[in-house]
Amino acid sequence: MNTVEPAARSYLEEGYGLRSWLGTSDHKRIAILYAVAITFFFFLGGLAAALVRLELVTPAGDVMSAETYNKMFTFHGVVMVWFFLIPSIPATLGNFLLPLMIGARDMAFPRLNLFSWYLYIGGGIFTLACLLLGGVDTGWTFYTPFSTMFSNSRVMLVVVGVFVVGFSSIFTGLNFIVTIHTMRAPGMTWFRLPLFVWSMYAVALVMVLATPVLAMTLALIGLERLFGVGIFDPALGGDPLLFQHFFWFYSHPAVYIMVLPAMGVVSELITAGVRRRIFGYRFMVYAIVGIAVVGFLVWGHHMFVSGQSMYAGIVFSILSFLIAVPSAIKVFNWTATLYKGDITFDAPMLYALGFVGLFMLGGLTGLFLAATALDVSLTDTYFVVAHFHYIMVGGSVMAYLGGIHFWWPKITGRLYSEAWARFAAILMFFGFNLTFFPQYILGWEGMPRRYHEYLPQYQVLNVLSSAGATILAVSYLLPLGYLLWSLRHGARAGANPWRAQGLEWTTPSPPPLHNFARTPQVDGGPYAYEQP
Amino acid sequence: MNASAGHLREQFDDSVQQREASTLGMWTFLATEVLFFGVLFAGYAFCRVIFPDAFAEASRHTDMLLGTLETAVLLSSSCAAALAVREVQLGGRRVATWLLLITAALGIAFLAMHGLEYVAEYREGLIPGIRYTQHGPHAASMQLFFCLYYFITGFHGLHVSIGVGLLLAMAWRTHRGAFDQDYHTPLELTALYWHLVDIVWIFVYPLIYLVGRAA
Amino acid sequence: MNARAPSRQPRNHRSGPAPPSLRSNLLVLAALLVLLGLSAGSALIPMGAFNEVANLGIAAMKALLVLVFFMRLKSDSALLRLVAGTGFAWLALLIALSLADLLSRQNLLPPW
Repeated sequence: MNTVEPAARSYLEEGYGLRSWLGTSDHKRIAILYAVAITFFFFLGGLAAALVRLELVTPAGDVMSAETYNKMFTFHGVVMVWFFLIPSIPATLGNFLLPLMIGARDMAFPRLNLFSWYLYIGGGIFTLACLLLGGVDTGWTFYTPFSTMFSNSRVMLVVVGVFVVGFSSIFTGLNFIVTIHTMRAPGMTWFRLPLFVWSMYAVALVMVLATPVLAMTLALIGLERLFGVGIFDPALGGDPLLFQHFFWFYSHPAVYIMVLPAMGVVSELITAGVRRRIFGYRFMVYAIVGIAVVGFLVWGHHMFVSGQSMYAGIVFSILSFLIAVPSAIKVFNWTATLYKGDITFDAPMLYALGFVGLFMLGGLTGLFLAATALDVSLTDTYFVVAHFHYIMVGGSVMAYLGGIHFWWPKITGRLYSEAWARFAAILMFFGFNLTFFPQYILGWEGMPRRYHEYLPQYQVLNVLSSAGATILAVSYLLPLGYLLWSLRHGARAGANPWRAQGLEWTTPSPPPLHNFARTPQVDGGPYAYEQP
Repeated sequence: MNASAGHLREQFDDSVQQREASTLGMWTFLATEVLFFGVLFAGYAFCRVIFPDAFAEASRHTDMLLGTLETAVLLSSSCAAALAVREVQLGGRRVATWLLLITAALGIAFLAMHGLEYVAEYREGLIPGIRYTQHGPHAASMQLFFCLYYFITGFHGLHVSIGVGLLLAMAWRTHRGAFDQDYHTPLELTALYWHLVDIVWIFVYPLIYLVGRAA
Repeated sequence: MNARAPSRQPRNHRSGPAPPSLRSNLLVLAALLVLLGLSAGSALIPMGAFNEVANLGIAAMKALLVLVFFMRLKSDSALLRLVAGTGFAWLALLIALSLADLLSRQNLLPPW
């Protein structure tokens, strides 16, 4: 199971020109195309965040006008959600690793895979056009009737952009589902799959079932703007809550699109770092699928104060409490896997540990928000902002970076500087908490979100938060630096520098074009480390 | 050796795996189409619960005869498409090509009939935002019905047009002998797509044309 | 034996289920057209709320006929039936929970 295949040309050596990249059907190259694109959008969205935090250093709205501020946080949200977080792990690590982990030569539909990337780029171009032509000020949530009738900003352009990138998501999910169902190697039964593959399957299900609803909802916004009339128009009797139901039916599962892959990555990082089987594999699988399914039943918790019926609010609140259970099971099982283990604190493990702690904090605060009585006071305050950044940034982004580091040798054939990586990870943890923990406090003290000016008593915490953001920004630039540096100057990696279990580690680093010289025969389950 | 060997893509181990993957992929795509159109049906349900009388009155303005004919045309085209796939599976080519052309023709007939409906609706002033001349107590909320009507039939018509294009392409390929008993996956997938377009219309018909008719 | 298909019936190299007969296809079409006539006809008879029940019920039957016979769900694999079912089930979820909100709204009177 652990023997290395004989050396062949790596996928990076199969053609060098631009056309060999832009016309590729190799899932590994497509993963890199995505990685480059999402990194660009990450820093663009980060720039918007930096400007937001700059404005919030002082209580007065002295850096930009209120309208510009609205456009700034909208752009930050739109870019970070749809052009960074949702594609991040699935389209980069998922695309690269999925066929390798199941013993396949490529995805089921390689050309559809490339088409998904072009859809991503197309959607990105529309969104950039929106930015360059004046921006959009509706918030990433596009609530009607402001977005459909009263906003004077470039709603149409961004709606088209997100519509297009949504189909990138849908086709990626479709590809993953079909690949996992039909292309597993002999012996690779469902309950022998690594948890990362399970998380890719679950995220694909969510992408496929939720995103079409977003697509039509955006189309309805566009049509209403185009024709001046539509089903959300209150003058005709249209219900703005109808929009919110449609929007959140997608957007709540969307946050599970963002976190499930991170959970999958963390299971891989922890088992490899402590060299042990995962504790409670079956329950981890059930938890992943449970989160994906129950995630579709809780969307009304974004609408507690919107005018939704009280009874619907009660039902959504109870279901939102319920979904904490599988998440908690996962946190307990990661902890149990680590308990009394021989932990090596390499960068991937540091990121994984950071994820577990920060996800737990973010998840707990989600429970506070799920309680309707508390939510009445906390909704639309910085408490909510802190909650979701703890999960999306403290959780998903850290898991993404942990995964990038862990599989960097496999993807590039190079080793990165472990010293710099550990430093960046620790700096990131510190910077992250300094940025976002004060926002919890600001939230329960009553500071509203999406305001470009605030009452003077909130300044100290805002200054701390902005200072943290500066540190966080540096900690994101560092990996960009040393990872790129390693491409040229890093030591060459062997097939399995971490001595980890998994089919991807049986190939050379980087793998050849078709991954395996012979289709592997799988005899046992994942994480077959010697220690119990 | 069967024809499918020439069509086997390198990521697959054998033609059975390839067909399984293609079929599962198309069905997954169809599920996304159900959810895509489904939003409009959900919007319809929501608005109709709020304005039942307006929806009934608005529905009476639609052309029930044309709507029923269009439904019959699409149902027949579905049968023709299914028969075409059957023909190819049994080794046929000429009859299959004709069946595909008939399916496409029925699709075009559907679009033409619906075009006639749109023209009549323009004349009667039933198009919100473009030409709407209705009066009466329900005139404002009837626009919700008509917005949904044009959105649903518009998206549906777009899908029919794409389907007609695919059917014509399949007819050409069948005529040229690209498919045989062992390999006809693109044809199967096109037929599945066409059937979904039919299913969407099956639900559109009663919701748009048959509300409040028994006045 | 590979892990992909341990329990499926072995297939010959002719891929896919065997086609239904010409007769069964035409019978299905006849049934569909009869159902169409039924829904058009029943719409003209005043039956109150039952009109809507009949309309949607007949539509569902037509859709099932197309899915099971024309789209061959009956003879193809169970996984495809699950995929088709999931699509409709998720739509039902969207509609049901949204309507549940709409239908359970109450006017909250101000305390004064």
